[in-house]
Amino acid sequence: MNFPGLPANFAMPAAMPKLGGVNFKPPRGTRAVLGNGLVVYLLKDSTLPVIHLTAYIRAGKINDPAGKIGLGEMTAGLLKDGGTLKYKPEEIDRTLEFLAASVESSMGIEEGRADLTCLKKDLDAVLDIYADVLMHPAFDPGKVKLRRDEMLEMIRRRNDDPGRAVVREALRSFYGPSHPYGWRSEEATLKAVTREDLKACHDNYYRPNNIIIAAAGDFSSDEELLGELEARFGAWPRGEVKFPVIPPVRLKGERQVFHIQKDVAQTYIVMLQKGLKRHDPLEYPLTIANEILGGGLSSRLASEVRSRLGLAYTVYSYSVKKPDYGYSLAYCGTNPETCGQALSEILRQYDLISREPAPAEEVKRARDSIVNSFVFRFPTPFDLITERASYEYHGYEAGYLDNYVENLSKVDPAAVLETSGKLFKPEGAMLFVIGNSKKFDKPLSEFGPVTRLKED
Amino acid sequence: MAFSIITAGTAPTIMADMIKSRKDTLPPGASVEKDPKYPAVVSYTLKNGLKLLILEKHFVPTISFTMIFKVGNVDGTQGKTGLAHLFEHMAFKGTKTINSTGYEKEKPALYKVEKAAQALIAEEASAAPSPEKLKKLRAALEEAEKEADALVVSDEYLKIYTTLGESGMNAMTSTDYTGYVVSLPSNRLEAWMVIESDRFKNAVLREFYRERSVVMEERRMGEAEPSRVMWETLGSNAFTTHPYHNPTIGWMEDIKRLTRTDAEAFFKAFYVPNNATLAVVGDVDPAEVIALAEKYFSDWEGRPLPERDYPAEPPQKSEKIIKVSFKAQPALRIGFHNPGMDHPDIYALIMACEVLTNGKTGRFYKNLVEGRELALHAWAYPSYPGSRYPSLTVIAAAPKAPHTAEELDAALMAEVEKLQKEPPTRWELDKILNNYEAEMIKQLESNSGIGMNLAQNEQLMGDWRYDWKVGEELRRVSPGEISIAAAKYFTRENRTVVILKEPR
Repeated sequence: MNFPGLPANFAMPAAMPKLGGVNFKPPRGTRAVLGNGLVVYLLKDSTLPVIHLTAYIRAGKINDPAGKIGLGEMTAGLLKDGGTLKYKPEEIDRTLEFLAASVESSMGIEEGRADLTCLKKDLDAVLDIYADVLMHPAFDPGKVKLRRDEMLEMIRRRNDDPGRAVVREALRSFYGPSHPYGWRSEEATLKAVTREDLKACHDNYYRPNNIIIAAAGDFSSDEELLGELEARFGAWPRGEVKFPVIPPVRLKGERQVFHIQKDVAQTYIVMLQKGLKRHDPLEYPLTIANEILGGGLSSRLASEVRSRLGLAYTVYSYSVKKPDYGYSLAYCGTNPETCGQALSEILRQYDLISREPAPAEEVKRARDSIVNSFVFRFPTPFDLITERASYEYHGYEAGYLDNYVENLSKVDPAAVLETSGKLFKPEGAMLFVIGNSKKFDKPLSEFGPVTRLKED
Repeated sequence: MAFSIITAGTAPTIMADMIKSRKDTLPPGASVEKDPKYPAVVSYTLKNGLKLLILEKHFVPTISFTMIFKVGNVDGTQGKTGLAHLFEHMAFKGTKTINSTGYEKEKPALYKVEKAAQALIAEEASAAPSPEKLKKLRAALEEAEKEADALVVSDEYLKIYTTLGESGMNAMTSTDYTGYVVSLPSNRLEAWMVIESDRFKNAVLREFYRERSVVMEERRMGEAEPSRVMWETLGSNAFTTHPYHNPTIGWMEDIKRLTRTDAEAFFKAFYVPNNATLAVVGDVDPAEVIALAEKYFSDWEGRPLPERDYPAEPPQKSEKIIKVSFKAQPALRIGFHNPGMDHPDIYALIMACEVLTNGKTGRFYKNLVEGRELALHAWAYPSYPGSRYPSLTVIAAAPKAPHTAEELDAALMAEVEKLQKEPPTRWELDKILNNYEAEMIKQLESNSGIGMNLAQNEQLMGDWRYDWKVGEELRRVSPGEISIAAAKYFTRENRTVVILKEPR
């Protein structure tokens, strides 16, 4: 098998010194559990007089009620901004901003977060605010209106940049607009959210037994910080958290093409295929396959679509795991006059990797790339301890992080081929295109049955 | 133009624990910063003029490298805009030994490509290009490229770094500078020296015309993004004479005419050690970094740089308002000419920007995002598009429906005029200074971040301590001086407004 653009004679420069492996064993940090079930991960680090803390709240945009999509995001966004039992919103802003500290909360697709950053000297004052924000938000009505209006404005602006909109819209078509993995908030769903809904959402999810905190920085000792957390959160009562049932993912698995007509300078292409559930051990060969296919500037997609054909500045692929089926995605932005050419090349690359064994040298390079850069997942102690907390949050087995490199190192060309063959089925992939079809080099109908959508 | 100001720092001995082992093995000529208000940076300059800045940090065994050249789009020539950026792309295409099966064989093939390309460009630029001739010339170029490609080891430079375990390998071009960054595991220090010294001593600009197509796609991507369209429109309308007029990526018509010959001349003129600073941050021994830099970079030949005497922008005499029709929700940019970063007024202008936009207690947020609910957001940036020459202090904002960009513009100007009449409170200034100071500490958390900061400030502003020194200047600014600066610069006749709106 000969891959154009893949040299048989790739070599290190002659003057290169002998290279050793990279052997980094990430520190474990400390894990503790408060009496009310609040889990705490700690890693002391006195490099700089700064403290970082984050909380993972078991919640997510996927847990919103179907008629109130946006509820979780609005709740998280108002924890601080809406004031608390003890502090008025203005008081919080003035105190934090004067101390150059931040307390921010947000809602991800399947996780709520609340972050704190402050200088060491201000920890007491900032932690007081942070704790009240998490436990006793007041949802000031004026701030609720402001937040909702902001979110409505963001909806009006969601299609301004088609290069970003295309991923969201592709996932929406892939999972279906009414499935939590694909949905988005709408004017009606935001307007349906009441202040009582926000309180109820907070009351359900923001419970100590539903939260994992990770902290790193210049605190005196683990015991001291645990004491500070116990003093603020210790009396917060447990609660029974009710989670909605997420309907199972149903994917068509046959070629479909979606097109939004838009006269823009570039055309945006997203290709989607069924991916993995979160704890599937196939993640290791899939990670290598993606690295080979679209992981960086020397990957096959970049090498072919970008360097050899000059069709794109942005082209890549990746896979996302979810509790139910995740997805594999390829992205490309190209001249409308080369849309068909780019699409064909992307499909060809998926077809190749799922049918032809990758050369051992290429698989090794992909492995080396991930193994040798593993250490960069933890540029700071806070990044490390946050990552540890996230694995507990997502239910990974205890040794997941510490065995990751070893598990990845076992992946060989046969495993890459087998996994690619199983997961990449370009003939059944969904293609989503935003662009001006009047300029396309080939009609999209050559790639499969086309559904035309309107930008909304 | 990242919002980056606001940080100054005089926290005592902020880096005390970063230094694992301060060995007394530094060679003559190297110096360590001992003043506790700064990080303990080791400085050293090679005989050819290459400046080194080294900062030890040992939490993880990694190193971040940042190489900054003082060359950007501002240094291009009329009709050849975008060359600095296209060259940056070319710097990933290898050397005489990397990406090549043998340079001696490759050289004539590259020459043939260049001849074919220049013939095509000449025909395209002619008064009446003949379609037939164009077709022939395109085919000839394609044929020549095919021959040259057969001698290329494609993407070898990238593959070497992938194998080494790079993180964040990238490059960036602005109107002021070009930067090359990568982070590696710390036992790859010498590997980096081997590759990068070769990269800048022996660059071969192969695969030029296809990379030019990639850059055209990059430009097309920008043309589809409303915010980039606005920034470009602002610069090109506010500046009439100074080269800050030109967008960094270049005008499409210019990119189409760039040749490899142009890029080689540009490389020879500006990619010299006396035009560069290298910052090395992370798990390193400074003495070893210096020894290896001497070993691999000392034979890189220094040369005098070209004159860089660009025409100054004349004072703006009347307000300019540009309406851009674009399929997106409304937004606006207001640019006021500023006196440049080396002018003493700049500190009061920086403080004015911060009074207006620092946090939710900042005036724009409090009064326009909240209060009157006119804006979705509103920010002020002290310096766009660059810092080497007098540039623009910019307000960027978006209205919240049903309010229009014009209403928001009026409200923003009303806030500015209020600041011109009433000096800010001491509380506002102290808050800003506290934030600047905290930022100066927090920026030390990221190896690549602090590396970029040190190298840029050294190479462009003349001192890696620049941000700390700005912090000291900001402390000296009085409330009255902020109002005076706002009154002097934030005037109608000094402003260029770009309003983006959907076509009717």
